[in-house]
Amino acid sequence: MDLSHETLVWVAKTFGLIYLVILSIAVVAYACWPARQKEFRDASTAILNREDRPWR
Amino acid sequence: MDVISNLTMDERRRALLILLVMALVGLTFAAAGHGDPIAVHGALVLVLSLALAFPVMGHLYDPEPSIERFNAYYDDPSKVGVILTFVWAAFAMFVGDWVAWLMVEPTWTTGSAWSSFGRLRPVHTTGVIFGFGGNGLIATSFYVMQRTCRVRLPDQLSPWFVLIGYNLFCILAVTGYLLGITQSKEYAEPEWYADLWLVIVWVTYFVLYMRTLARREEPHIYVANWYYMAFILVVAMLHIVNNLAVPVSFLSAKSHSLFSGVQDALTEWWYGHNAVAFFLTAGFLGMMYYYLPIRAGRPIFSYRLSIISFWGITFMYMWVGSHHLHHTALPQWVQTLGMTFSLVLLVPSWGSAANALLTLNGAWHKVRDDATLRFMMIAAVFYGLTTFEGSFMAIRSVNALSHYTDWTVGHVHAGALGWVAMITFGALYASIPWLWKRERMYSPALVEVHFWLALSGTAVYVFALWNAGIIQGLMWRTYTENGNLAYTFLDSVVAMRPYYIARALGGLLYLLGALAGCLNLYLTIRFAAPATEAASRKPLRDGLDDAATQPAE
Amino acid sequence: MFTLHYRLERRAIGMTLGIIAAASIGGFVEIAPLFTIDQTVEAAPDMRVYTPLELAGRNIYMREGCYACHSQMIRTLRDEVERYGPYSLAVESKYDHPMLWGSKRTGPDIARLGGKYSDEWHVRHLLDPRDVVPVSIMPSYGWLMENDLRIDDLRDQLATQRAVGVPYTPDMIRHAADDAYAQANPDGSGVKDLTARYGEATTVRAFDGTPGRLTEMDSLVAYLQILGRLTDAASRDTLAKDLE
Repeated sequence: MDLSHETLVWVAKTFGLIYLVILSIAVVAYACWPARQKEFRDASTAILNREDRPWR
Repeated sequence: MDVISNLTMDERRRALLILLVMALVGLTFAAAGHGDPIAVHGALVLVLSLALAFPVMGHLYDPEPSIERFNAYYDDPSKVGVILTFVWAAFAMFVGDWVAWLMVEPTWTTGSAWSSFGRLRPVHTTGVIFGFGGNGLIATSFYVMQRTCRVRLPDQLSPWFVLIGYNLFCILAVTGYLLGITQSKEYAEPEWYADLWLVIVWVTYFVLYMRTLARREEPHIYVANWYYMAFILVVAMLHIVNNLAVPVSFLSAKSHSLFSGVQDALTEWWYGHNAVAFFLTAGFLGMMYYYLPIRAGRPIFSYRLSIISFWGITFMYMWVGSHHLHHTALPQWVQTLGMTFSLVLLVPSWGSAANALLTLNGAWHKVRDDATLRFMMIAAVFYGLTTFEGSFMAIRSVNALSHYTDWTVGHVHAGALGWVAMITFGALYASIPWLWKRERMYSPALVEVHFWLALSGTAVYVFALWNAGIIQGLMWRTYTENGNLAYTFLDSVVAMRPYYIARALGGLLYLLGALAGCLNLYLTIRFAAPATEAASRKPLRDGLDDAATQPAE
Repeated sequence: MFTLHYRLERRAIGMTLGIIAAASIGGFVEIAPLFTIDQTVEAAPDMRVYTPLELAGRNIYMREGCYACHSQMIRTLRDEVERYGPYSLAVESKYDHPMLWGSKRTGPDIARLGGKYSDEWHVRHLLDPRDVVPVSIMPSYGWLMENDLRIDDLRDQLATQRAVGVPYTPDMIRHAADDAYAQANPDGSGVKDLTARYGEATTVRAFDGTPGRLTEMDSLVAYLQILGRLTDAASRDTLAKDLE
C-alpha cells in the first residue's frame, strides 16, 4: 500500500469527527425542514389505516 | 397443497428447476467430498431439495391461481416464517438452557463429541440470532413492506427462495457445528459454502425489497422500511468482508480466514458489534416502528426523531466495534475512537427508546390490559437499558473489569431476551391473528403467562450474571496486603456456581414462556374463531380519537 | 428477476446509497490503517510457523469451540501480566488465520500455556478435567484419544495457509503429512527432516503417550504446548520496558 501508516491514522482521527458533524447537520436539517412536516405526519398516521388490501 | 397451487405455473416450474439444481449440487458434494464432513452437508442439501421438489412436481400442472389474488397481500411466506420463528425459538432456547446447565454440571451430556459444550454453544447463538431473530425479521418484513407500500409482493417465488434459502443456511450452520464444521469466528461460524449461499439468498432479499418499494402506492417510504433496508444492506457488507477466506479445496468444508491476528480481530469485532447493530437492533427497530404504533393505535410520537435516530445509528455503530478489544494488542487510538463513538451512540439509541415509550403516552391503559403491547413496551425499556449499559461497558476502565467476564454475557442477554425477543414476540402476537384472519390469539391468558415468564426469566438471568461478572472481575484483580494476587482462577470458577444455577433457572423460565407461545400459535391456527369481516377492516385509530378527546394519562 | 419495467425508484436508490455511505465510513477508517501496521509494530524475525501437527491441533481447538471459554490475549493490565505472563503482542498472532483471541474466560487465558504443564497432565486433563482439577467445569474430550488424526488433507491445509500469507515453503507443504507423523514419533526416521524444516527447537514427543499411533490428542496437545512459544518477542519487549 502506498499510503503511509501515519497518513491513514491522521485521516482516521480527524475525518471521522468532521464527517460526524456534517452528517448530523444534514440529517437534522432534512428531518426538521418545514416543507416535509406534512409528509411525515401523513406517513406516521397512514399506517394506522388498516384497509388490508393493496391499492390497485 | 394450497401453498404450491397458489404459485403460478411458471413459478412452479422455476421452483422445480432451482430445487433440482440444488439437489444436483448436493449430490456432487455428497459423492465427491468423500472422507470430508462436507459430504454430509451435500447429502443433507440433496435430501431437503428432493423433499421439496416432490410436492412441487405433484402440483406442477395444477390450474393457474385465480386472478383474485392480486386483490390481497401475499402472506403465505410470512405465515410459514412465523411458524419457523417459533420453532427456532423453542429449539435454540432449549439448547441455550442445556449449555447453561453444562456450566453447572459439566457431565450432563451424552459424552459424544456433538454434545460437548463447545459445539452446542454456537448452535445456541446461531439458532437464536439467525434462526429465531432472522426468521422473525424476514416474516415481519414481508408483512410490513406490503402494508406500508400498499402493494402486493412483486412475485410469489422470490419470497419463498429467501425464506427457505435462509433456513437452509441456518440448518447448514447448526448441523455443521455438531459435525465439527466451523470457522471459529464468533457469530460468523458457518463455513465458506454456507456463507456463499447466504450471499445469494441475501441479494435476492435485497432485490425483492427494492422491487416492492419501486412499485409502492404510498409516496413516502415509511421509516420502518428504512430500518429493514439498513439491516439487509449492512448485514450483507459485514458478512462478505468478515467471511473472506480461502477454502482448503472445493471439496473440503474447511477454509482459512484471509486476515490474521490484529487485522482479523478488528474485522471480526467490527462484524460482531455491527451484527448487534444491524441484525439485532436496526431490523428490530423496523419491527417496532410498525407494530408498536399499530398495536397502540397511535402514530409514532416523533417521526422526525425516528429519522434522526436512524442516521445516527447507521453512521455511528460502525465505529464502535473496537471497544471489544480494549487493552489488547490493538493500537490504542483505535480503542479510543471506538470508546468515543460508543458514548455518542447513546444519543440516537435513547432517541429511539424514548420515541417508543412516548408513543404509548395516552395508551397506558392498553399497556395494562394487553400483554402483546406490554411485550413491546418492555422491549423498548430493555432497549434503553441495554444501550446505556453497552456505552458504559465501552469505557476503557469499566471494560478492564467487565471484559472476559459473565457481565458481557449478561449484557448480551439483557439485549437478546429483553429487547430482541420481547419485541419479536410482541410483533408476532400482533400479526398472527391478522395473518390467519382470526379474531384474536386463541388464548390471551397464555400470552399473559408467556409475558410474565419472559419478564421474570430475563430479570433472574440478567441479575445473576451481573453479579457473577462483577464478582469474577473483582476476584481476578484483588491483591493481598503483600501485593500478591488474592485469588486463583479456580477460586473464581467455584464462586460462580450459585450464579450459574440461577442463570440456568432464569433461562428455563424464558424457555417455558416460548413453549407457551408455540402452543398458543398451534391453538390459534387450528381452533381460534375466524375474524369477522367488519373486525378485520376496522381502522385502528381509536386510540388517536381517545387522545383527542381526553387528556393524556 | 429485476426486469426493466420496474421503475428504478429514485428515493429507494437514494436511501440505499445513503445507508452504504453512512455505514461504510467507520469500518474503513478504522480497519484500513491496520493493514499498514507492519510499519509501526514490533518485529519478530525469529518467529516460526506452526508445524503441520500443531496446525492440525489448532483446527481441533477451533472445531471443539475451545475459544468460547479460553482467551488467548493477555491485556496490558498488571493483574493479567502477573497471572498469565507478559501481555500479548500483535506480532504473536500474525500467523493466526483466524485469530483466537477469544472474548470470554470461563476458563483461564491460555496465551502462554505452552510448557506450563506436562504432556501427561494435558492428556489426563482433556480426558477428564476433574481427574486433575476436581472443581473444574470443563467438558471431557474422550474422543480425541480414540480418533486417528486426519493427515490426508494437511498438504492442502498448509498450501492454503501459504495462500493467505503464512510463509510455508514448498518443501514444508510437500512433506506436511510426514512431518505431522514424525513429530509424534521421536524414534521414527522423519525427525531429522522435520527439525531441519521447522528448527531444532521443535518439540518432538509422543504427546499422547502412545508413539505408534497418531491421534487427535497428539495434535491438540502439540498445539497447546506451543502456545506463546512461537517467538519470545513478548518477554523481550517486557524486559526492555522494565529496563527503561
